[in-house]
Amino acid sequence: MKRRSLWLVVLVVTVAASVAAAVAVASPAPRPPVPPIGPMVPADTGAGELLLVVLGGVYPTRAEADLAAEAMVFGDVQGYYVAPVGQFQGFRQQAGLPGDFALVSAFRTQAGAESFVEVARGYGLPATILPERVRSLGGAYAGLGQEANPDGSGPLTGPIAESLP
Amino acid sequence: MWLLDRSRRFVPVGIPVALAVLVVLVAAWHWSRLGWRDRHVNYISRPTGYTQIVNRFGQPCSAAASAISMPWRAADTGQTYTFRFHRKLGGYPTQMVSDKGGNSTNLDNDVFGHIQNDHLQPYVEHGIYGYFCRTIRNSSQWSTHAFGIAIDVSSAEEYMGKCNSTVNKHHASIWRQHGWYWGLAFCDPMHFQFADGY
Repeated sequence: MKRRSLWLVVLVVTVAASVAAAVAVASPAPRPPVPPIGPMVPADTGAGELLLVVLGGVYPTRAEADLAAEAMVFGDVQGYYVAPVGQFQGFRQQAGLPGDFALVSAFRTQAGAESFVEVARGYGLPATILPERVRSLGGAYAGLGQEANPDGSGPLTGPIAESLP
Repeated sequence: MWLLDRSRRFVPVGIPVALAVLVVLVAAWHWSRLGWRDRHVNYISRPTGYTQIVNRFGQPCSAAASAISMPWRAADTGQTYTFRFHRKLGGYPTQMVSDKGGNSTNLDNDVFGHIQNDHLQPYVEHGIYGYFCRTIRNSSQWSTHAFGIAIDVSSAEEYMGKCNSTVNKHHASIWRQHGWYWGLAFCDPMHFQFADGY
C-alpha cells in the first residue's frame, strides 16, 4: 500500500513538472516595453540647438515659398517645410541668397541630412546641406525629428552631443 | 512514328523525339524563370492600424525598417533605383537573392520575381522608392515609408491624388496576392504598403 502511494506521488509530481516545463517552453518571451512614440511627430523646433539644414531654395515672400513647396513633391511623403530665414542664426551668411523665406528640412545628424538629400536628388529636386550647423531660434516647424536615431531604436527625438551648443 | 533502319527494320522513334522535345521545353521553362521560385517564406500577417504596425514591425525609422536594400530598374527610363525596406519583408537567401540578413522572401524574391516572370516589368516606370523616415505629405502622422513597409512604384506616372491607374494596374494583383495593400483605394496609385487601416 505504501509503495503504491509512493508511486502515485512520483507520478503526480512528474506529470506536474512536465506540464510546467511545457508551458514555460511554449510561452513567448516577454516583449520589451514599446516606447510611447505615437503616430504624430511632435513639432520639435530644436530651439537653441545647432542643426544641420538641407536647403531647397530661398524666396522673397512666403507666398512664393509656399508655391515652390507645392511644386517640390516627394511622392506621398512630406519633403521640405517653409520657414522664415531669420529663425536660423547663421543661415543668411551660409546660404548667400537673398530672400526671407526658405524651403528647408532640419536634422541633428549628418546621416539624416544626407539620406534626405539622396532622396531629394532621386526626385530631381534641389538639395544642399549648409556647410556649418546653424542655431535654431525656434519658430516654424522645419521637419526636425524625422531622422533615425543612431542607436537604431527609432526616430531621433532629442538633442545629441553635436547639436548642443 | 517508325523509321526504316540500315538493316531495313522499322524502329520506333516517337519516344526519343518526345523526350528530346520535353528536355527542350523544360530547359526553356527553367531559362525563362532563371531558377526563380515563388517561395513564400516567413510571411508576416498584414497589420491593421498604427498599434499593430508598431507591434509587428517596431518603431518608425528603426534600424530594422531600413535593413534590406534592393535595386529595381525602371522600364521607361532605364534608371536603376536602389531602395530600402524592412527586414521582415525580404532579404532571405534564395536562388535569386543573396543572403542580406532578412527574414522573408516576400518583396525581393516573390513580388519582384513574379513581376519579372509574368513579363510585367515594362509596367514598372520611373520613380521607385521605399524606406524614408518622413511623415505623410501635409500631415504630422508617420508615413508607412518610415516603417520600411511601403514602396512607391512608377511615382511620376501614378502620382498622389490620381484616382485611377494606368501602369501599376498591370501588376497590382501580384502585390495583393503577397499581402500588400494598394493605395489606389485612397487615390495614391503609386503606393503599395504592407498594412491597412492606416
